[in-house]
Amino acid sequence: MERKNPDVALVPMLQLASYVVLATGAIFMAFRAGSLPASRWEPMGAGTFPQLVFSSIAVLCVAALIMELAKRGFPRTTLQSAWHRLAALKSVLVNLGLFIAYMIVMPFAGFILSTFGYLLLAQLFLAPKRPVTLLIVLGVALLFSFGPYYLFADVFSIYLPRARW
Amino acid sequence: MDAFLLALGGVTEPYTLMLMAVATFAGIVAAAIPGFTITMAIVLTLPLTFAMPPMQGIAVMLSVYVGGLSGGLFSAALLGIPGTPSAVATTFDAFPMARSGQPGRALSLGLFASFVGSLISIVILIVAAPPLALLAVKLGPWEYFALIVFALTIIASLVGDSLMRGLIAGLIGIAIATIGPDPLMARERFTFGYELLTAGIPFLVVLIGMYAMSQLLSELEPTSSSQQASSSSLVSGDMRPHLWDVVKSTMRKPINIVRSSLLGVFIGAVPGAGSSISNLVAYDQAKRASKHPETFGKGEPEGVVASEAGNSSTVGGSLIPLISLGIPGSPADAVLMAAIMVHGISIGPRLILDHPDLVYSMFIAMAVASFFMLFIGILMMRAFMRLLNVPKYIVVPVVLACCAIGTYTLNNRLSDLYLLAAIGTIGYLMKKLDYPLAPLVLGVVLGPIAETNLRRAFQTSADWTLFFTRPISALLLTLAVVSVAYSIYSYIRQRRLLAQRADAAQNNAYQDGVSQE
Repeated sequence: MERKNPDVALVPMLQLASYVVLATGAIFMAFRAGSLPASRWEPMGAGTFPQLVFSSIAVLCVAALIMELAKRGFPRTTLQSAWHRLAALKSVLVNLGLFIAYMIVMPFAGFILSTFGYLLLAQLFLAPKRPVTLLIVLGVALLFSFGPYYLFADVFSIYLPRARW
Repeated sequence: MDAFLLALGGVTEPYTLMLMAVATFAGIVAAAIPGFTITMAIVLTLPLTFAMPPMQGIAVMLSVYVGGLSGGLFSAALLGIPGTPSAVATTFDAFPMARSGQPGRALSLGLFASFVGSLISIVILIVAAPPLALLAVKLGPWEYFALIVFALTIIASLVGDSLMRGLIAGLIGIAIATIGPDPLMARERFTFGYELLTAGIPFLVVLIGMYAMSQLLSELEPTSSSQQASSSSLVSGDMRPHLWDVVKSTMRKPINIVRSSLLGVFIGAVPGAGSSISNLVAYDQAKRASKHPETFGKGEPEGVVASEAGNSSTVGGSLIPLISLGIPGSPADAVLMAAIMVHGISIGPRLILDHPDLVYSMFIAMAVASFFMLFIGILMMRAFMRLLNVPKYIVVPVVLACCAIGTYTLNNRLSDLYLLAAIGTIGYLMKKLDYPLAPLVLGVVLGPIAETNLRRAFQTSADWTLFFTRPISALLLTLAVVSVAYSIYSYIRQRRLLAQRADAAQNNAYQDGVSQE
């Protein structure tokens, strides 16, 4: 049963790729675990359990790969189909990118500024472009950047990151 | 008795009660917003409880949990969209009922059923947890290891579409937990010289990244349901709760609510099977037992009662393995476990022996939160209708920012933020590739327990056959094999049924073609 529709075949194709990646990574980690020194105090050292776990992951991934190929054959997809699917996830990718940038910036810019910037940009990207929405976006960004900072500092004595300049 | 009175005094302090009322309200609101799950609400509450005494903090988190389990009802009844997976079956009858001009009655039925379901589950928890804990204290490392293997296989076979990917996900979770110091000798493992990995990867960071982030990002994907959510208008009609009528009509036929609650408790106690399964099973059983099953799906009150009693009663059931064995059955329970551990209290069968006041306070807090849930739900029905309309462009970025706050405040470590971004991205990718995330998250929690017990077993005796010759250990390992075998059998049967259906459809199409010719 070969999945001929490139759109339908995309996820199975990526799943097969994930089995290969995971199996390779697990084999590498199993070797790393094997190189951890044995313990003088117990029959199982620090590396035995991880070695068991990583070996099991590798075995399961290889088994899943073989079963999938034997049952359904190699799924054939196209780069165009992958690109279409990626383009459909624009909102997710932009938001994820903004969030990653937010996480990287926060240690330097501090919580208030980075959160304000992230919330403003993410909401502006997602919200319908209307004057009222712009006001709401600004209000929400201000409330959730200054609010948690002072709530945690004054009520719980937990200090969120401050700017480093 | 002293411990019980201590717990009662702690939970019924006015300030604690006020916090619990706010938390119950927050739980209902969070679960009512489509895309905002109960686990997310509990995770985001956690940092707020750090500064509280353990009893107060746990009471607040349990209030969010109890409120959250009934919150999905509001969007299910008023929008026809389940706010959480635990309210899927609620939409079948609550929405038609609300559309036919009785939204107040639909909500009251659901709230009252949730209330009764919670109370029944608490009673069973009180009865079942202490004896089970006393039994668990006597278990050796062999039995504990076997128990965790059993729990993980059950979780992997119950969650998601593929047992194989479920097992792989569970093992990836355990593998993540091996990064950092090993649990017995604190020897550093797999850090590759990176400082941010030296302390290991905190399981809450994994939970927030895998569960909350991936779910929130999925909410931004273009789907027909999101268009439906934005275009559907709220129902209108009689918003009066008619509480007394609802109580009378429900209690006149108590079998439905009791059966649904017992099913919920049982399903909640099985690791991996939570409220998202129990509401559907309870609904199905109510329909089968009904004298008029044809009315189900058209606004049948018994359907609303069954689904809501079924999902809310899982709270007590899911706490049975947590309190008695120290094993969380769901990600939400894992957060509760973390909340207790943050205060330096270790979770396990000794919890009930060493901290009976804390365990009693959990029972009392759940009962109090159930009352709050009923009254807040009834009194604020109209307000909840407005809150359901919070747009996604606000919810997603704000909750993501709250995830960052939660992650940072766990250990006050900036490097955890980088881990969150990385784990969230991987979690979203895994979700897209159809890997179930619950086994992974629980693997991170259960991994160190499994490793500790396996190594302790070998420290005690190098004889590995003890895992198969000690009766309880052998039984649990057999059950693990049976759960995997049963899952493979159901998969094969399902595929055969699908193939038969496809063949039948093809034959019908062929016969239609012949007759037309």
